[in-house]
Amino acid sequence: MFINYEHNNHLYNVTVERRDNQFFITYDNNEYTVTATELKPGQLVIQLAERVIKSVISQGDDSKFVFIDGNIFKVKRIELTGRKTTGKKEGDLNSPISGTVVKVKVTEGDLVKKDDVLLVIEAMKMEYLIHAPYSGKIKRIYFKEKDQIEIGQLTAEIEKEEEQNGNN
Amino acid sequence: MEIIETAIDTSNKEYKENYIHYEKLAKDLKEKIALTCKGGGEEAVKLHKSRNKMLARERIDALIDPDTPFMEFNTLAAYDMYDNKAPAAGIITGIGIIHGREVMIVANDATVTGGTYYPITVKKHLRAQEIAMENNIPCIYLVDSGGAFLPMQDEVFPDREHFGRIFYNQAKMSSMKIPQIAVVMGSCTAGGAYVPAMSDETVIVKGTGTIFLGGPPLVKAATGEEVTAEELGGADTHCRESGVSDHYALDDPDAIRITQNIVENLNREEKTHLDIKPPEEPAYDIKEIYGILSKDPRKPFEVREIIARIVDGSKFHEFKTLYGTTLVCGFARIMGYPVGILANNGVLFSESALKGTHFIELCCQRKIPLIFLQNITGFMVGRKYEAGGIAKDGAKMVTAVTCAQVPKFTVIIGGSFGAGNYGMCGRAYGPRQLWMWPNARISVMGGVQAATVLLTVKRDQLWRKGIAMTKKEEKELTDPIMKKYETEGNPYYSTARIWDDGIIDPVDTRLVLGLGISASLNAPIPDWKPGVFRM
Repeated sequence: MFINYEHNNHLYNVTVERRDNQFFITYDNNEYTVTATELKPGQLVIQLAERVIKSVISQGDDSKFVFIDGNIFKVKRIELTGRKTTGKKEGDLNSPISGTVVKVKVTEGDLVKKDDVLLVIEAMKMEYLIHAPYSGKIKRIYFKEKDQIEIGQLTAEIEKEEEQNGNN
Repeated sequence: MEIIETAIDTSNKEYKENYIHYEKLAKDLKEKIALTCKGGGEEAVKLHKSRNKMLARERIDALIDPDTPFMEFNTLAAYDMYDNKAPAAGIITGIGIIHGREVMIVANDATVTGGTYYPITVKKHLRAQEIAMENNIPCIYLVDSGGAFLPMQDEVFPDREHFGRIFYNQAKMSSMKIPQIAVVMGSCTAGGAYVPAMSDETVIVKGTGTIFLGGPPLVKAATGEEVTAEELGGADTHCRESGVSDHYALDDPDAIRITQNIVENLNREEKTHLDIKPPEEPAYDIKEIYGILSKDPRKPFEVREIIARIVDGSKFHEFKTLYGTTLVCGFARIMGYPVGILANNGVLFSESALKGTHFIELCCQRKIPLIFLQNITGFMVGRKYEAGGIAKDGAKMVTAVTCAQVPKFTVIIGGSFGAGNYGMCGRAYGPRQLWMWPNARISVMGGVQAATVLLTVKRDQLWRKGIAMTKKEEKELTDPIMKKYETEGNPYYSTARIWDDGIIDPVDTRLVLGLGISASLNAPIPDWKPGVFRM
């Protein structure tokens, strides 16, 4: 299962799988196998490869204090139940704003990968990039440099990779 | 509330470049502040100490409760002005905590031109008083000043917002039951003599503190009387004979102790109650903001990623997520205090302005402090938008921002241009505090846009006379304009002139806002009374 811990303002995303008193932990693309035995409530003996570590864990108000080798770590479990409210929006080939096309980086027939920049639109002192929403072949480009563009106008059309394969 | 999920990839090349770039900006800020904190230089500091006086910052440190923060305003005032001879404009102002309650401290730094008042010094002193007045917090003046800086008297003395306003404010605040306390720890000459005289309670230090309308040289010239400064206006004269001062201190530490006792006995009213929860750190590393802000100011960034690193637990209850998407509005907590956040995520359209207005109304009705995260290149322009009534929708937002009676705080996290600045609670809209990040930019429009507008006007003028401009002439006209806008749009140019309350490292934003909200709760929050909204 996924567990998220916060320690020292940093978020650690960890996956843990348990088999008896063995834990298979993945963190930052590294895998660890850990054996943990509880001596009495709050006291653990942990074996990580050759190392045997004694640890005491105490429960604070909203976080746990973990004592290891004379160090105290304050960790807090975070529930990431959130809806995805941010993040790269699924690429959209329509212009997000009315402005001027300042750069066209591809020509018809080009093969592009997902997230490649196709056009740059300038408006209101900012640059807006049009990214390829998926990989494929540029079928049409509707604008050239210095063209005026209106909000919502389609900038280009891309033939999806799968479709091409289908055609072949 | 849900935690904002991040889409930031910290291993991304662009992220790393941005991060390194921003680290430099933050380091540069720290160096500038460190240099300013040295005051008027080694010589002046040595001389000051030889007189058995503590430095202005030492006095403040000793005065406030141990291990409590001092929220300093405008540390970089007068930066790059007056030949850089007035670090911090020779005056230190900020909110500190004494006996558990917030106070405004205004301390002259006598190592800077004898603590005299440059035009910016006056502005900084008045701004501190304004903050005290709005937040209903007592003022403590640690006076050590020779009065107005005489070579610039025309910019210091005659006008409404000049030297005289200091004493006007003292009388006004006293009438509003905001205690005014003066501690005379050096000279208080001429106009400066009114600072202790106009205070509710005054302390004077024996040997170093003096108060008089005319100093010994002036007395000699006027009447021929020969008198020492101590005889003329020292602690003994004012505590035993004149009654200008109330408390007699043996030295600086003694004066500080007496001042703490004064504050202990002020009997201040309870602070305004809000639904406060225990503070919680954001779920993401605050420093990641460095990598999120693009080093190219023309590249937009996702503002929710910034919000996620400022609010408690990164939890955000967003309002109207799908409507007017270029303005992000929502509820969250900062250091345990409930807040309503308005943050730019692109140009303001009619829908965004209407959404912002609605959201401000909600916060005002519920008495929730407002936080504006300003990164705005303006309201959208063009025929379609004018016809759609963007001017009246923008006006609604400006009306709501103006009339919002809850404490407002503005942080300029990117650009601040044109009417967008108004809608997002710029300086003119009375935020309790306005802070800037080191990457911020502020001007009426972008330099390129201003140059283009002025060029078009000029070209049309000449055209009517039948003259055409050459490319070289055009360049000669536009280059200086763009350069001027670049210089004046710089945050250090702004903070030097007190268009803001200071430049802060993004990682300190939570703390600064938390302290600001805490201070604001010394004043009651009245009921919501908006003006007319143009429909």
